[in-house]
Amino acid sequence: MRALGLGALGTLLLWASLCGQDGPRVAEAQTVLSTLVEAYGVSGAEGPVRDAVKRLLPAWAQTETDTAGNLWVRVGRGDPLVVFVAHLDEIGFTVTNIRDDGSLELQTRGGFFGSLFEAQPALVHTDKGDVPGVFMPRDSGATRHTPPPLRVDLGTTSRATTLARGVSPGTTVTMPKQFMRLAGTRATGRSFDDRVGCTAQLLALRHLDRAALKHQVVFVFSTREEIGLEGAQGAAAALGTAPRRVHAIDTFVSADSPLELPNFAVAPIGQGAVARALDNSSITPPAYVDSLVQVARARGVKLQIGTTNGGNDGSVFTPYGVVDVAMGWPLRYSHSPAEVVDLRDVVSLADMIQAVAETW
Amino acid sequence: MTRLRLALLSLSILPSFHLSAQTVDPLAVRFASMTAVTGLEQAMTDTLLTLVPGSTRDRTGNVTVSFGTGAPKRLVACALDEVGYVVGNITADGYLTLRRVGAPPQPLFDQQLEGQRVTVFGARGAVPGVGAVRSTHLTRGRIGSGTPDPIFTVDNAYVDVGAASAAEARALAIDMLAPVSLAKRPHLYGDRLLAAPAAGRRATCAALAAALQAKPTVRGSVVAAFTVRSLYTTTGLQAVQRLQGPFDQALVIGGGRGARGGAAADTLVLATRYTDTAVETVSLKDAEALAKRLVAWMEAR
Repeated sequence: MRALGLGALGTLLLWASLCGQDGPRVAEAQTVLSTLVEAYGVSGAEGPVRDAVKRLLPAWAQTETDTAGNLWVRVGRGDPLVVFVAHLDEIGFTVTNIRDDGSLELQTRGGFFGSLFEAQPALVHTDKGDVPGVFMPRDSGATRHTPPPLRVDLGTTSRATTLARGVSPGTTVTMPKQFMRLAGTRATGRSFDDRVGCTAQLLALRHLDRAALKHQVVFVFSTREEIGLEGAQGAAAALGTAPRRVHAIDTFVSADSPLELPNFAVAPIGQGAVARALDNSSITPPAYVDSLVQVARARGVKLQIGTTNGGNDGSVFTPYGVVDVAMGWPLRYSHSPAEVVDLRDVVSLADMIQAVAETW
Repeated sequence: MTRLRLALLSLSILPSFHLSAQTVDPLAVRFASMTAVTGLEQAMTDTLLTLVPGSTRDRTGNVTVSFGTGAPKRLVACALDEVGYVVGNITADGYLTLRRVGAPPQPLFDQQLEGQRVTVFGARGAVPGVGAVRSTHLTRGRIGSGTPDPIFTVDNAYVDVGAASAAEARALAIDMLAPVSLAKRPHLYGDRLLAAPAAGRRATCAALAAALQAKPTVRGSVVAAFTVRSLYTTTGLQAVQRLQGPFDQALVIGGGRGARGGAAADTLVLATRYTDTAVETVSLKDAEALAKRLVAWMEAR
């Protein structure tokens, strides 16, 4: 009886911890992240996300938007200039053709498994508003995981009807998405890559001690990362050799999943931000990784160190002699509609950005 | 009995009674948002008991309601269940593995779990989760162009509810046999088109519920049944026929791949597109027409 009673109490306490109230930092992270996640912005059409970022900035922040669509926030004065960059865009599709039967042919924007969109609801983002439809399931070839190129059915039966809804070649297409809490401090949604990075930059800006800054810091919210780091290339060219360091703030794609090989990218979710020391686009000099670790220790911020796949916006600054010291947070199931994060990691990443800006 | 299939086009010319889009559409959307894994339909039948005045649940789980008296005694039935999953195991790190309930109606049925939102129906209510999927970035460079491309099956499925251990999962009141389905988010598009898993079946049952709410003046007596367990066998329907029959006439309505009524029933099918996928699509105009047809059938006009 005693053992049973203690077991029941333990379960009750565990349940309470899984469903309990968030601390203020996690609550703030959720408020910002959920707003950004529920905005749509396929590469090249980031306007709604950029507008959401502007609304979430602290009142003192002055913004500039460059010709590439990047949003800039400058803080502090003097050298050396340090840049943080997180990207606004998300994977998706653009319309390439409207068939005579009214359905849409698509081109992918960014890399992902087509099967994750096949036979799912679709949203076509027109100037007149979002038009719902469905990604059509394949009608043959059901022995392969990968579908043929996807099309969207808007429920129309002619090209003219589809055009009348405001759809034209170049219009972007995604699927509906929603931020959803899971157990504990975990959450799921689509486009956490890189709305979490944008969230962390926003949280850092909100909590930044501007008087503590020893040099100018530029926060860039970049465009078209998913199709080749294009927005960041414009920012890097504009700044040239002026920055000392660039901190790409982007996803650390984690192998923390039963479906992944654990031979690298091992950074469990819930264990803090990650120094993205090596990926497919850049290598952080070991001394800079050590410096990051020292900053984290000094501030008591949880930081993991790892190597993963993917590229980052900071890599396009390196030809100008700028050192790329990328940071991220561990993400499960990247580029899927069911990405999973732990909100405590978002807070850790924001704290790292703030600490680096103020002390390094 | 003869097997009857009516072209839905012809249904739209029937009189309107009290039925309208305002009656059928919200019911169809509401039903499409529900989950009724075959054999585990109680949550949905609980709702039906509140929506259909005078209805009761029989010992098999079917929800039935009777109108009128005397002969002829007729039965109209729709199946409300769907192929789904139950929790088969909980791993030490908190993932749920699954067992499918019912045969996959198409080869890619299980693949629809991969990387999508799911709902686990725990003892204290619905728990959101996701079907795990390999990260796009971590597969790059590891899969060559000639590599086999096998489809995803339920044996590859791990459901992530955010628990970090089996104890955390159980603390959410999740245990073996908890029903699991794709998250139900009915999606309206085009001209009154409804897309959702099992949309055809749900729209069919919505048409029947709407017809009952219109309070038809039946000729003789009619038993209307929302039946369970159609996807293992026709157990639910057979139970109604044995518990409340014999019937002079039986009409089984269905959506998607059809209605299974056995040899002793007429069938009426609501057409669907993208059948047995997460965007199975049904026309709510057709569902409204079906509801009107059912009223006429109950009134024997």
